[in-house]
Amino acid sequence: MTDIWTNRLSEYLDGELDRTAQAALEAHLATCGHCSATLGELRQVVARAKALPDTPPATDLWAGIRAGMTPERAVVTARRFSFSVPQLLAASVALMLLSGGGAWLAVHSGQTVTPQPVPTFGNRPGPRPQFLPVDARTNAAIADLQSALAQNESRLDTATVRIVRENLALIDRAIADARVALQQDPSSAYLNLHLADTMRRKMDLLRRVNDLATARL
Amino acid sequence: MFASLAAAMLLTLAPQRQTDTTIAVPAGASLSVNNFGGGITVHGWNENRVKVHGETGRRGRVEVSMVGSTVLVKTGSREGAPSVIDLDITVPASMPLTLNGTYADITVDGVTGPISAETVNGEIDVRGGKGNITLHSIQGGVTLADASGRIEVNSVNEDVELSNVSGEIKVETTNGEVTLTGIKSSSVDAGTINGDVLYEGTVTDGGSYSFGSHNGDITVSVQEGANVTITAATANGDIDASFPLPLTGSTGKHRKTFKIGSGSARMELESFQGDINLRRPQELRDRIDRKHKAHDQNDNENDNDGDTAFQFHFDFTNVATYAARYAKAYAPKYAKDYARAYRNAYRKYGPDSTSH
Repeated sequence: MTDIWTNRLSEYLDGELDRTAQAALEAHLATCGHCSATLGELRQVVARAKALPDTPPATDLWAGIRAGMTPERAVVTARRFSFSVPQLLAASVALMLLSGGGAWLAVHSGQTVTPQPVPTFGNRPGPRPQFLPVDARTNAAIADLQSALAQNESRLDTATVRIVRENLALIDRAIADARVALQQDPSSAYLNLHLADTMRRKMDLLRRVNDLATARL
Repeated sequence: MFASLAAAMLLTLAPQRQTDTTIAVPAGASLSVNNFGGGITVHGWNENRVKVHGETGRRGRVEVSMVGSTVLVKTGSREGAPSVIDLDITVPASMPLTLNGTYADITVDGVTGPISAETVNGEIDVRGGKGNITLHSIQGGVTLADASGRIEVNSVNEDVELSNVSGEIKVETTNGEVTLTGIKSSSVDAGTINGDVLYEGTVTDGGSYSFGSHNGDITVSVQEGANVTITAATANGDIDASFPLPLTGSTGKHRKTFKIGSGSARMELESFQGDINLRRPQELRDRIDRKHKAHDQNDNENDNDGDTAFQFHFDFTNVATYAARYAKAYAPKYAKDYARAYRNAYRKYGPDSTSH
């Protein structure tokens, strides 16, 4: 359920509403549990984004992100864009996953990471996607890391490789669970974040094991 | 004296089975240890000296050097495969520590400085520490007690336990439980995929707390008088509290928000398959005490049972493989005991030993 205030919550969070709108929204928040809860989720998105590792994304990756913006949107600087909740979730997920995976491959492969434009959405009219297609690109990033691991894992002992595979399988089952649940409830913020967090864990584990293996060169 | 020590100094210890060396260190010196297999044990003391004791076996060797203000301790083998070496190191209590192993257990106690410890197949057990503390193991459990600072602890395939810890805390494992007790922190982030998460600690005004699991229960304490907004989400579990929990909002069918007091702290509780339980601190302490008593009782029964003697068939190929295989197949409850017993047996009767 959404109301007229739902899509202004990010502006509120950014402190960009004028006083009158801010006061009206705060009055609304006091009586609307849905908007209050949604605002809480937006704060979580911001908090999670702030909690990301302090590693700058590769230059190539940023070029890809910038290339994904249309000129029209790129020159708008007077105000921030407003995002719907699913957009914010998906954008944060995409940045989290792609910057992490891309940065690892850039550092460790010595090759240029093919820039993948991250979905960005402006405040333009027209229908907005309710769920962004981050899966395909995330899966590609994970596949790249798995491929790297397949090449590197011979440097690890068999017991460690077995444990890592078992844990990756565990995470895969969790990802599958989340995806099945999302099919039933695609707009669930919790399920979207849970899926993203679980995929982030898989990438973290892959990166960590790759680091471990490459340290033995 | 310190000037001469600052120059690169290499002491290759004599090839006996036990080695000892002691060197004076300047204030602010740090320790870096790299031991492939065996153990790294570090104790703190109130002297400006580092004492290194190594049990090396016939082929092993320990090198102690000082580069700049860092004491470097490395182990190696004079021939063949890497040796299993136990290091027992005593350092100035506040000395920063960097400890790395592969098949090594890492134990630290009585220290008051920053600690970085990483191993692949071994347990990490740290008591003390202040400042940046990072403890990572892949296949071993990690425990940290009586520490403060910026804490980052993770395992992959085992449990993680923190007790009497304060500061900014981030804890993660994949296949294991997370148990946090006696915590004083305004920032805690703890999660696992397959295991329960338990938090017994303070909830501070304005603080941020996040606990998550995919397959386990989340149980947290909230003290009376706390001011916290709790967001609890579960796909297939229940939410239960032992005290009144005012519902202030819900999003979809999975997420509910509760506000206690002014709600200034924020707490996220998320479990896909498990339940979410909110309790008073004393309830959790009682539960933890019962768990410890049950564990001690099991240990005593195990000690008194002559039939539980460990028996292994060695082919001396891979300590980790055998420890994991036997533990998983025969006694998952006593996996750590099996792993430790196997490791000790390997040292005693393995190819690097002269005692058989």
